[in-house]
Amino acid sequence: MIVCQNINKTYKLGSGHKHVLKDVNLVVDKGDRVALLGRNGAGKSTLIKLLGGVEMPTSGKVQRHMSLSWPLGFAGGFQGSLTGYDNARFIARIYDRDYGEMRAFVEDFTELGRQLAMPVKAYSSGMRARLAFALSLAIEFDCYLIDEIILVGDQNFQRKCHFELFEKRADRSMILASHSTDIVREYCNRAVIIDKGQATTYEDVGQAVDIYTQL
Amino acid sequence: MSLSKFQNGWRIQWRVIHALMIRELHTRYGRENIGFLWIMVEPMLFAGLVAILWRVMKGSEQHGVGIVAFVVSGYLPVVLFRHAVSRCVALFVANSSLMYHQQIKVLDFVLVRFIIELLGSMMAYFFIAVVLIGFDQFPVPADIGLLISGWLLYGLFTLSLCLIIAPLSEMSEIVEKFIPVTTYIMLPFSGLFTMASWLSPSSREYLLYSPFVNAMEMMRKGIWGDKVTAYYDIWNPITCSVVLTVIGLALCRHVRKVITVE
Repeated sequence: MIVCQNINKTYKLGSGHKHVLKDVNLVVDKGDRVALLGRNGAGKSTLIKLLGGVEMPTSGKVQRHMSLSWPLGFAGGFQGSLTGYDNARFIARIYDRDYGEMRAFVEDFTELGRQLAMPVKAYSSGMRARLAFALSLAIEFDCYLIDEIILVGDQNFQRKCHFELFEKRADRSMILASHSTDIVREYCNRAVIIDKGQATTYEDVGQAVDIYTQL
Repeated sequence: MSLSKFQNGWRIQWRVIHALMIRELHTRYGRENIGFLWIMVEPMLFAGLVAILWRVMKGSEQHGVGIVAFVVSGYLPVVLFRHAVSRCVALFVANSSLMYHQQIKVLDFVLVRFIIELLGSMMAYFFIAVVLIGFDQFPVPADIGLLISGWLLYGLFTLSLCLIIAPLSEMSEIVEKFIPVTTYIMLPFSGLFTMASWLSPSSREYLLYSPFVNAMEMMRKGIWGDKVTAYYDIWNPITCSVVLTVIGLALCRHVRKVITVE
């Protein structure tokens, strides 16, 4: 279970402050698939950062009682001068996983072949996304954070991702920030609309999507 | 229960530090030519060339102490201090994307940089000393325990400075601009150029407020033994380090709360 209690987040903006999230409460249970809806700049990514623990709330608490992934497909953690294999080994080390298995999974999933031995800075954005996805999926988490990038890559790769995420891991929790109402309708069982810093939770996803499209 | 939790926490931190160190070494030195051995060769080049320069300019001895050994023993700790401090500038933001992995803490970043510099400068010290002893340019240390204690105190104080500079450099960009000049001005207070006993009593008194000087005196007493007179108080570097560490940890905690990640 992940619990957000009265989270506030303000950023410095010139001499004043910008209040991005106001008293946000959110509970994500095991098996929940929560959609985060909101217009650009509404605070979806901020909430994801707070959930993921990269940033801390100005006030309030985030409690994580299950393991939470870094944002799926997030390539920001890569060190450009290291090879794909090096980056995979780093992840295997910090999560205490067997590198052999990890390597096999990454090779199979990314289909990047010998390019995995090249520095990541030479990768195209599609290749990076493949590697990032593979690494996130190579570690098993109870809950996956997904920030908009579900639709990267070519058709074949998208199918693979959908299978790995929504079919193989059907029992896991997910927190998904997306503008694609189709995906939200299809996969989520709850939705949170973030607007003007307030977060409202809807048990009925269809209703939430309707409200969101009128924002 | 709480003990096993503590042990588990240590195990995770150790694993993270290990992984970050390898990542850092690969990133900085790559796998070309001698690879990570550069952590040792870099300071060695520095101390070696400066020692040769001094030898040419000032002759072979000063106050009855071999000048090459004196310069080498002074420069390597200073290299540790300067490199470690400058590596800590804007460290958190540069690594912020790694904080999505909850087991990685901001302190790990500081520790990793510091350990790399410490290993590098100590390896360089050991290597140069062994070579110079072979050529009879460096005395066999009279009290190796005192030498190592001095090194560790010097390192401890450097680490406590890193713990302050890393968060301060995130809080204000001005700090970043001042660091190169400050580390340069620090040189006379690093104990590099003289021993305290070579100075007049009044200037000695001021110099001995510097934790660096106290630690350096210990190292040199450890090397030359009865050939030199050393003035030091081991509580000076210990007290200063503890105070700075407490302040530094509080600053790190504060910066961690307000840090903004892209």
